[in-house]
Amino acid sequence: MKSMLRSSNRKISLILIALAIGYLILSYQLPPYPFVPVDSDLMPKALGYLLIILSIVLFFSGNNDAEKETKVDSRSASEMFLLLMVTALVILYISLLEIIGFVITTVFFIFICSLVLGYKNYKVNITVSILFPVVLFYIFNYLLQIRLPSGILPI
Amino acid sequence: MKKLLFLSLLVLGMVVVSACSDQQQASSEEGNWTPEESIEFVAPAGAGGGWDTTARSAAQVFDEEGIIDQDIGVVNKEGGGGSVGWSYINSQEGSPYNLFVASPPLIFVPLNGQTELTYEDFTPIANLIADYAAFAVRADAEWDNLNELFEDMKEDPSSITVVGASSPGSMDHMQFVKIAKEAGVDVTQIKYVSNQEGGALTDLLNGSVDVYSTGVAETVEQVKADKIKVLGVTSPERLEGDVLSTFPTAKEQGIDATFVNWRGFFGPPNMDERALQYYEEKFKELSDSEAFAEIRSQYGWSEQFIGHEEYKDFLAEQTEELQGLMEELGLSQ
Amino acid sequence: MNAMQGIMQGFEVAFSLEGIFFVLIGVTAGTLIGMLPGLGPITAIAIMIPMIYGMDPTIAMVLMAGVYYGAVFGGSTASILLNAPGISGTVATAFDGYPMAQQGKAGQALAIAAISSFTGGTVSIVLLMLFAPTLASVAVSFGPVEYFALMFMGLVAISSLSEGSVIKALISGVLGLMAVTIGIDAQTGTPRFTFGNPNLLEGIDFLIVALGLFALAEVAFLIKKRHDDSLAKTQNIGSLKLTKQDFKEMKGPLLRHSPFGFIMGVLPGAGATISSFISYVIEKRFTKKPEEFGKGSVKGLAAPEASNNAATSGSFVPLLSLGIPGSGTTAVMLGALLVLGINPGPLLFQDHPVVFWGIVASMYIGNLFLLVLNLPLIPYIAKILKIPRPLLISLVMMFCIIGVYSISFNIFDLYLLLIFGVIGYLFRIYSFPAPPFILAFVLGGMMEQSLRQALTISNGDYMIFLESPIAIGLFVVSILSFAYPFLRDRKRKR
Repeated sequence: MKSMLRSSNRKISLILIALAIGYLILSYQLPPYPFVPVDSDLMPKALGYLLIILSIVLFFSGNNDAEKETKVDSRSASEMFLLLMVTALVILYISLLEIIGFVITTVFFIFICSLVLGYKNYKVNITVSILFPVVLFYIFNYLLQIRLPSGILPI
Repeated sequence: MKKLLFLSLLVLGMVVVSACSDQQQASSEEGNWTPEESIEFVAPAGAGGGWDTTARSAAQVFDEEGIIDQDIGVVNKEGGGGSVGWSYINSQEGSPYNLFVASPPLIFVPLNGQTELTYEDFTPIANLIADYAAFAVRADAEWDNLNELFEDMKEDPSSITVVGASSPGSMDHMQFVKIAKEAGVDVTQIKYVSNQEGGALTDLLNGSVDVYSTGVAETVEQVKADKIKVLGVTSPERLEGDVLSTFPTAKEQGIDATFVNWRGFFGPPNMDERALQYYEEKFKELSDSEAFAEIRSQYGWSEQFIGHEEYKDFLAEQTEELQGLMEELGLSQ
Repeated sequence: MNAMQGIMQGFEVAFSLEGIFFVLIGVTAGTLIGMLPGLGPITAIAIMIPMIYGMDPTIAMVLMAGVYYGAVFGGSTASILLNAPGISGTVATAFDGYPMAQQGKAGQALAIAAISSFTGGTVSIVLLMLFAPTLASVAVSFGPVEYFALMFMGLVAISSLSEGSVIKALISGVLGLMAVTIGIDAQTGTPRFTFGNPNLLEGIDFLIVALGLFALAEVAFLIKKRHDDSLAKTQNIGSLKLTKQDFKEMKGPLLRHSPFGFIMGVLPGAGATISSFISYVIEKRFTKKPEEFGKGSVKGLAAPEASNNAATSGSFVPLLSLGIPGSGTTAVMLGALLVLGINPGPLLFQDHPVVFWGIVASMYIGNLFLLVLNLPLIPYIAKILKIPRPLLISLVMMFCIIGVYSISFNIFDLYLLLIFGVIGYLFRIYSFPAPPFILAFVLGGMMEQSLRQALTISNGDYMIFLESPIAIGLFVVSILSFAYPFLRDRKRKR
């Protein structure tokens, strides 16, 4: 167990170092602005190097939080699949929000998402997933004057 | 709960029906164009800023005075100093229902290289408002006019700091640079700090900085309270108002330069000629209305109506002037 | 009109039937707006401006002030129950409020938040009344040098936010500082790390980061654990009644952070969000039991809640005594004053004492209303947790998405929200603490900008930081707060 954790720390450390190097490369490419004593690149450069140093320390550091990690690490393949499903649903929801409109996309999102997560009470699910978007749309668009996208609905 | 659902469906149905009937009515009229659906005013920034205020107050007057019968909704499209909203409008080519509010950032942001779009990618409809810049110092400062300040800046530029709310290459910076340049100051030597957290005036009052570059409206109350004094404003002539009229212009101090913070409405590219004409007339009516005059005086804005054709020339001229300055500072991309 | 008359008239307006009615409407609307993630007081007040046209100025301001502090009051609810901060000022509330609710003490947590908010708000109003005329000078006492020192003091405490590995907390903080460098740099106008994407030019909105790292990451965890028996406890709302022990624990933080939050509010640019974070880390730094923080500590909940509400009332000082808006919300209120025909500036206090004192007086009523309205409602509000988990998860995600959308109306920001959700989830899996990230994100931007402003003013001379007594004082506190836990441990060992 100990060695596994250690290796996860090492992997993270390497990823962070790669991130820091990418960040530093971009920092060195920032165009200079000659009229200030401290330019826009000082802070990013300092942060980039600091992250490298901290990542190196992490690489060699022990594992005083071993317990926690093992507890969290008990994920099964099916749970992961579910998470990915929900993420895909969220992406679909986001990308269709402005095209199809708030009300329709939200109705489907709440209903399908609850279903995917194992909610069996269809009656409540349908009621909630229709009621919430319609009421919210009304509140936002008419009471608050904040325009949520109406999309293909002729409102 | 079921009742509510039924009710909302009913309302929805009514809206659909009425929308359809509107359409028939409007298209039956010939010749003059009138809007057939609701109009969208885009403020390319969040709620509460200058663009948002202009859009919301214009929409309100249009509605309350019955100048435009169609429903007008204000939409905030925030991001990229305006460029997110601009690309949204740019994608609505030819649409007569999507307008947006613009001001000098429409010139600055493209010049800074932060967007590909310029005012030429839109249809300028009409300008409504002019606002001017003021340069203020603490009430007990050693300078009494712009020339004294600029003389000191020429002698020892490192001793004087100017503060504004926007970043270099944007409004508060460039308006100062423009006037200082005309007065003969080496503009590459100006020490400018940007304070975007609302602390610019504080920095002036507590002595951290020396000069505050801002809009005239922001200075009036501080001058009344004798906290600061305004060394110069960038309008071509003195402004109207108790306090405003006491502010000397840069011009009358022998510095032949002005800066105007204009604000007007634009449409998407290739807007229909008749729709353009319609809006130009309606904005003129808005500008002439008493209700809008009152809003102008509340916010301390001056009236400056410019119609479509003239507006294009005005924008070209503004762009040219600023481009030269920004090139000199190495800010232009 | 002399000062006494002004006070009397202000109270008269605030305690009139109309005044009380509008305070009630304001705080109720504010609470609801605060509860919805994303939708905050700025948007709400900006939208109200056209509607207040022609109203009596005092009444209109009383209404809008009510919306503002009502939102800060209500913002804690979603933080505590769902880990989805209602407004940016209540992000720190989730640090200990949410764990407490998870332990089946939701009712207690909401009650502590309500009482702390009330105390913070009320103490702040008393201070406002007593010292109003002299506070204007406090408001302008901070320049870039002092702001840098203040932000530095908050950042030093990052290491204290670790749960276990200090190195991971520091890395999390550095990543937060990196995230805040994205966007146009204010001092040079240079776009940094935007990859030519205009959506990134203005930087990443704080609420996107907060909702992603906390709410969405938590949602991902709930999905994984939804059959877990340990969650059954959560549905238990627990008793509303606070024990003597609770009150004893709250006393210290309330006494410290109500005045502290007030001063932070008075300083333009600091405000409720920053003050709640600094209060939290300082409280943790100097407490006897720092190990309880982050796990449902009463102190850790009371400190930021007292602080953010006190700061909200405090932020009216620069607005009303100087015409300087210290926060986004008060900037919009400045616009509202203009619409009402009142010119906000140093003379407002003299020219319109009724408006000033009307707002102050109404805050007493408003805070009392908030407490009286909220306490009995807690059992009902906490019932949110009884919503079947799959449905609740879907609704929380929807609210986060619509909340972020209503800030910028930009789909890109929704993808950012999702990205920060993934980052937050990875943080949890690999036990990197998220609070240092968010703290660095809040303080980092202002720290960098004020550092560079100061250096531009001094032509690059670092000695400018040692010329201000306030800054020196803050640096000393920073060093003390860094050293204190070590000194304390040594003492204990002896």
